[in-house]
Parts: sequence; C-alpha cells; structure tokens
Amino acid sequence: MTRERIVDARLHLLSRQVLDADGEPVRAVDDLELTGPDGQEARPGEAVRVGAILVGPSLFTRLFGGAVLASRLPRIAWSDVAHVGTAIELSVRSDELDADWVELWLRDHLVGRIPGGRHDPEADG
Amino acid sequence: MKKVMGAALGILTAIGGFVDIGDLVTNAVVGSRFGLSLAWVVAVGVVGICLFASMAGRVAAVSGRATFEIVRERLGPRVAGANVVASFAITLLTLTAEIGGIALALHLASSVEPRLWIPVAGLAVWLVLWRVKFEVMENVAGLMGLLLVGFAVALFLLGPDWGELLRQAVPPSPPGTEHAATYWYYAVALFGAAMTPYEVFFFSSGAVEERWTAKDLATNRINVLIGFPLGGLLSLSIAACAAVVLLPAGIEVSALSQIVLPVAQAGGPLLLAVVIVGIVAATFGAALETALSSGYSVAQYLGWSWGKFRRPAHAARFHVTMILAVLLGVGILMTSVDPVMVTEMSVVFSAVALPLTYVPILVVANDPQYMGRYVNGRFVNALGTVYLVIVVAAALAAVPLMIATGAGS
Repeated sequence: MTRERIVDARLHLLSRQVLDADGEPVRAVDDLELTGPDGQEARPGEAVRVGAILVGPSLFTRLFGGAVLASRLPRIAWSDVAHVGTAIELSVRSDELDADWVELWLRDHLVGRIPGGRHDPEADG
Repeated sequence: MKKVMGAALGILTAIGGFVDIGDLVTNAVVGSRFGLSLAWVVAVGVVGICLFASMAGRVAAVSGRATFEIVRERLGPRVAGANVVASFAITLLTLTAEIGGIALALHLASSVEPRLWIPVAGLAVWLVLWRVKFEVMENVAGLMGLLLVGFAVALFLLGPDWGELLRQAVPPSPPGTEHAATYWYYAVALFGAAMTPYEVFFFSSGAVEERWTAKDLATNRINVLIGFPLGGLLSLSIAACAAVVLLPAGIEVSALSQIVLPVAQAGGPLLLAVVIVGIVAATFGAALETALSSGYSVAQYLGWSWGKFRRPAHAARFHVTMILAVLLGVGILMTSVDPVMVTEMSVVFSAVALPLTYVPILVVANDPQYMGRYVNGRFVNALGTVYLVIVVAAALAAVPLMIATGAGS
C-alpha cells in the first residue's frame, strides 16, 4: 500500500464496518478522534491527524447532541488499523479491545450461559 | 441436485417473504373483493423484488457487505437510524403477525385455542434460531412451504371459467361496487407485501451467511429467478381461489379459516390438510425470516457481529436482539390483538419505508469501490430508476390512501 490515495473521512471512514484481525465485526465507526501531529490535543491552526476510532456513546451524542467525558469514550487506536477498504480492518483481535465490552459481557453473563450458547452451528448436529 | 438445493435461499426468502401471512391475507382479501383485477400489481411487485433482491445479493456476494451496513454507510447515522427504527418496528409487527399466523393455522388443524399455541410457536421459533443450522432451516421451511401449491391444485379442481378470470386481469377491471381509492389502497398494500424490505435484508444477509463470493453470482440469479416468481404464482393462485369461490358468494375475508375455504371445497380434507401444513411452514419460515431480519438490521446498523454461522456466544448482542423481538411479538399477541389486522397494518407501513432501503442499494450497486467490474449494467439501472419512481409514489400514497379509505373498509 505505497500508492497514495485520497481518503474522504466522511465517505470512507465514518459509518464503515470495523473488522478485527480475524475478520469478526467489532462496531461501525461512530466518530473519529482528531489529535495533533505529536499525539497531543488538536489545536486550531495546526495540522491534525486521526488519533482513534470512537464507538458506542459517541453515536448518540452525534445524533442527539450533548457530550460524554472524552476519557470515557470507548476508542480503537488508529495505530491498530491495518487496512481501509469497504471495511476498516484492524491488526488486533476483538477480545483485546476494551471497546467491545458490551458484547463480551453479554457473552459471559447471558448468551454463553444458555444451553447451546457455545455450540458451533457449522458442526454437524 | 446440488444446484436445485442451491436455490433454497431464494425459495425460503420467497415463501417466507412473499407467501407469508401478509400475502395470504392480502391476496385472499383482494381476490374476494376485486377478483383478479389487481393481478398486475403482483407482477409488478415480482419484477421489482427480483431486481432489488438480486442487486442486494450481488453487493453482498462481491463486497461481503450486507444491506444495512450499506444503508448506514451511504445515508449516514441519522437517516439510516430513522430507517433502522422504522424497519425494526415493521419487521416486529410482521413477526408478531407471523407468530399469530402459526398459532391460527395450528388452531385450524387442532381446534386448540390459538392463545395456547402462541407461546409454543414463539418458543419453537426461538429454538430454531438458536440451534438449527442456516442451510437446514432454509431447506426444511422452504420445501414444506411449497405445499402451498395446494392452492393452485384447488384452482384447477374448481374448474373456473378461465376466460372470465383473464378478463378481470387484463385489462384490469375492478368491480363497479368498489371505490377507486379503495382499489388503489389495496394496490399499494399488495405492492408493499411483495416488496417488504425485510426480504432484501434477509436475502443479502443470507448470502453472507452462506459465504457467497463473486463465484456465486449465478446461484444468486437462479435463486431470485426461481424463488420470487414462484412466490408470485402462489400469491396469484390464492387470489384466484378467492375470486372464484368467495367473490360470487359475497364473502369478505376476515379470518384464516375463510382463506382455506376454496381449498376445502375443491379438494376435501386431504388437500386442506396439505395446505394447512404449507401455511404452517410458510408462516413459520416467515417468522424465522422476520426474527432474523430484526437482528440483522440492528446489528448491521451498529456494526455488531451477527449471523447464524457464528456460535451464539460470538454474536451475543445479535441473539439478544432476536430473543427480545420474539418476546415482544408473543407479548403483543397475548393482548389478544387480531393477527390479521396487525398484518394489514405492517404491509401498508412497509410501503412507506421502501425508498430508504432501495435507494442505497441502487447507489452502492453502481460504486466500483465496492463492486469492481460487477457494477450494474445499463438495463438494470434503467429498470431500477423506473422502480424507484414507483416505490416513492407508493410510499407517498400509502398513508393518505389509508386515511381516505379508512384502511380499505
């Protein structure tokens, strides 16, 4: 991927599906966090880069306004992104991401506990 | 044989989407009131659903992205959010109607009160969603649903005046007793029943479940071209049975038992039994399809992991959504609301929501970043544009017609 291409944040990043290293869906891109070039807070008049993909509550603040404490927002670091295509592919697995805690909580406390919850449907029977 | 079984997705989508309780009711009502003068709507609907289902299937096979991921990606979180809320509500209404339909059909077969069958039906639907393999599910429900062919058999046994049926259909000549607005209200309802968006959610997500790739585009075409026209023919035979028996007798359909009346008259208890099994299978298939679609649409909008090919624990939020949808449906039915009425509502509201789903599909099917060399051809785009006009017209007309005609009464 040395060939340069223009990525339009609104068209190619926002609302795209995020897949983990195994191709498992994680979330859709709900918002992007911009940082300064050195990873510090973005300042007006200076260059910015994409620091992280935000998921979860930021969808609701985007739709309905209001704010969530920035430190509370589940985020996926941009450095974990491996490829931007029709989906955003990560170089890490979803169970290593804090951003996916609701899925993991439901898996461990509800769905995994119902009989057959861990049964592989592709196996026979 | 493998090729034939490969068409199962299309057959289930069509049996469950086309000949679900909504179509059984709408077609029988229309047949008993308007004869075959609305048959053209079924034809228009079949072509439309073939067009957009094959487009959505092609997008899913080539890009791996199912319909609601595309809806959100193209329309943004706000408009797509409105669409997901509307689609979920309609799909839930339809699911409610289908579970009610299973209970009513089992009531016909057993004369045990439908209210006792409702929880049983809900539990059975969930068990299949939870445990049964996608391919097994679609083969069994699709093939058993084919027993609805009993309606076509009944039509032949009734030995109707074919010339008279044809005269009702071409050119469309509604009976003078009905008001023009009522005629168009039912035209929109039939169109909505034929093109319900959940069929496209289900079909495209099913393509992902079956791991279609660009190599499976021929399978996609076979599925669509066999499944939906078959569904259309079954719909027409239901309407024709009603037109032959119920229309002259002046019976207006308000219960499932009246829909099967022509079958009982023509073929006796044996054919009736066959058709009832077909109705149970078709409504059961539709219940599965709508329950899955409610999970698919929410999960794809929010980007959760989804699909029956995963262990339930690895698509936890998806399975929780479906459990909640089935519970809500059963809960609504336990208030003893009339499933036939729920069905008629859901069909009209689907007509309203159609454009929000079909516009993004048409746009993405033309996007080379998704589709590479498999973008739409000129003919498909021309036809797609014509259908967008029809879809928007039906969506705009649906609610005013419903108010003007008092929901067709």
